[in-house]
Amino acid sequence: MWKKGLGLGLTAALAIGTAACGNSSNNGDASASAPASSAATSSSTASAAPSKASSGDKAVITYWTDDRHDQEYIKSLIDKFNAENKDNIEVELTVLSENYNQSVDIAFSSNKAPDVLRLKSANTETFVKKGYLAPIDAYVTDDMKSKFGSLLLDGVNTFDGKLYSLPNSGQTLRLVYNKDLFDKAGIANPPQSLQEMVDDAKKITAAGKSEGAYGFALNFKNPKSAFDRSIREILSLSGYQGLGYDLKTAQFDFKPYGQVVDYFKQMWDDGSVLPGAETLDIDPMRAQFAAGKIGMYLSFATEPGVYKDQFPTTINWSAALAPTLEGKQVGTSEIVSAGTWLGISDRSKHKDAAWKFMAYMYQDDFLTAYHEQGFGISVVPSIAEKAKNPDIPGMEGFLVGEHDSIWPVSPSVTPEGANYGDAFFKYMLSGGDVNKVVTDLNARYNDALAKAVEKGDVKIQPNPSFDPSKLGS
Amino acid sequence: MTRWTRLRENSLLLLPSVILTVALGIYPLIWVLRYMFYDYPGYGEETFVGLENFRRLLRDTAFWESVRNTFVFAGGKLLITVPLSLVLAVILNGRLRGRHFLRAVFFMPTVVSTAVIAVVFYLIFNSYNGMVNQLLMKYHLIGSPFEWLGPKHAMLTVILAAAWGAVGNYMLLFLAGLQSIPHDLYEAAAIDGAGPMQRFWRITVPMLGPVMQIIIMLAIIASLKGYESIMVMTEGGPIGKTEVMYLYLYKLLFPVATSGAPADQQFGYGSAVGFTTAVIVGIITAAYYWMSRKMNKVF
Repeated sequence: MWKKGLGLGLTAALAIGTAACGNSSNNGDASASAPASSAATSSSTASAAPSKASSGDKAVITYWTDDRHDQEYIKSLIDKFNAENKDNIEVELTVLSENYNQSVDIAFSSNKAPDVLRLKSANTETFVKKGYLAPIDAYVTDDMKSKFGSLLLDGVNTFDGKLYSLPNSGQTLRLVYNKDLFDKAGIANPPQSLQEMVDDAKKITAAGKSEGAYGFALNFKNPKSAFDRSIREILSLSGYQGLGYDLKTAQFDFKPYGQVVDYFKQMWDDGSVLPGAETLDIDPMRAQFAAGKIGMYLSFATEPGVYKDQFPTTINWSAALAPTLEGKQVGTSEIVSAGTWLGISDRSKHKDAAWKFMAYMYQDDFLTAYHEQGFGISVVPSIAEKAKNPDIPGMEGFLVGEHDSIWPVSPSVTPEGANYGDAFFKYMLSGGDVNKVVTDLNARYNDALAKAVEKGDVKIQPNPSFDPSKLGS
Repeated sequence: MTRWTRLRENSLLLLPSVILTVALGIYPLIWVLRYMFYDYPGYGEETFVGLENFRRLLRDTAFWESVRNTFVFAGGKLLITVPLSLVLAVILNGRLRGRHFLRAVFFMPTVVSTAVIAVVFYLIFNSYNGMVNQLLMKYHLIGSPFEWLGPKHAMLTVILAAAWGAVGNYMLLFLAGLQSIPHDLYEAAAIDGAGPMQRFWRITVPMLGPVMQIIIMLAIIASLKGYESIMVMTEGGPIGKTEVMYLYLYKLLFPVATSGAPADQQFGYGSAVGFTTAVIVGIITAAYYWMSRKMNKVF
């Protein structure tokens, strides 16, 4: 009998062990076992230099980026740097295909960190908190200070008074619309208000449904990603911070967010949204837009490049400012991912060489060419003034204008339970009381905010006089 | 060979397995057991929070919904895979023409990457241009696209995809079990006048008992732990309808980056969820093993 008991116990222990190992490898990954898997994801590595330096004097520095759209251009700049620099520096470029943040984590935990990193406004703060980045205050020249000075934001470029990165280009977000479908539905202009957007989506669907064309779509497979490229802009242009944060009170308030979601829900209930949008990633959605099946969606200034190279299309499309809650542009359209470009690793053994490479990349000529070739829209005033507009079909709609500006930073917190994207999308599909969703989100996000402030991870400062109409002026 | 030499040799031979087990099994396990009492986003200080992660787990409705979804997913997958793989194994164990070719065909999905299977199923079942909807609409069986991956039917579709990928594997295990059954038993039964169905129920099924017990246990563990195909097809959506335990856990540890405010990795809470899911899987497996103990007794 005891043998049976022992067998049963061992089986249970084995099962728990097996299962625990299955998930604990996920846990442990971050520090221990994942380098192997990350090596696979970085198989798209594009090495700019054919071989590692063999001479002892040569400083070999590595640059990691997850930007794929500009890799040929960046590679050409690096090749030029490697051939021409007199300091015996060689730069190796690594373009990661995906899981960039995780790969950087693994690289730092296994002492294989790159010397120079591509920074985005969504990861810079985390990288600074994790101690990955070196301040560059000591390196920045007066010329650079005057060139970038007005753009340097606390919480984006500087943390605790130290500077970590300089800006280059940013992304505007727009309503992307299919002019052919608009014409077919008898609509002359893109919608100014959300009510117009709901009405237009209905008309486009009525006119195009028989051929599989619908009024609206977004990549709802990941609702937060879908809303962060749409509602964020609708809100900022309507005068509200786009991620649910109230700059006046320094608290989260998702009420305006809920109002926008109600219009999205209306389109869903009307049947104006492409069937299956809840399973769409961004690229399959773009493929459907390129095939003329979607009337409108909202996204970044990367879209012209996508329809030029990735999904070449014959449809007649354009981009316009996002619609607003009331049809009036009370605020400005937020330029996102604008604050940062390159940063230097705190672990780098060649920080001086890394800075030389970084300074080289920030030359006026290169920043200008970056804008003119359409890789990103320059946010540096001295560059934006003299650079020519990129010659890519559709880009004209995305260029920075009087209604665009960078917004103050909002704190990033991780609440308990569902994020705002999942919570609002659930409301869109299954209904309920939007006020309850808003109250629940406010409670959970403000709770997480209070904890983050208490812990010292986040600093907040109410700004009762904040006026969205003054942004950009 | 002295006793000590043999001991040294044995230890040396065991060493690689021991090192691997410790590094990839024991160490992560200890890591999880420690971090489940901490709040740790992957940077800064680790804060000891006692049982707070488990209290949060109790009030985390999304997690318990994912547990429920896991049972539905695992139950559905088992109900399809186990009987189907047994039937296929019995058919392909007979003297069917082309059985070797068919065995290879049915086993093929097992060697295909789960992610690839999921992408193919997505192409077949997605609402906007999936092949199934196009066929059904072409023959006017449906008027507008059917939401195979919508909130109501997504679970069924992901179960089908997972079952399709698993049937061949279990079929092969059943085939091995079938081939170990002495042929004399069938001959004796046939002489006694037993028909094919009687032979199946009275000889094949009981004789397969021990093999079946193990196969079902493996299938239970695999179904409870499976999330890869779901991650590719629906990412747990729409609105959490296909969110299973391990996918929920994965997202806590590796949140998806978007252009908006980034989400922190939640190693502490993730460890508590990981431990709890492992205990759930362990309890179910042990309970099954206990309940199925009679299957082990053939003679």
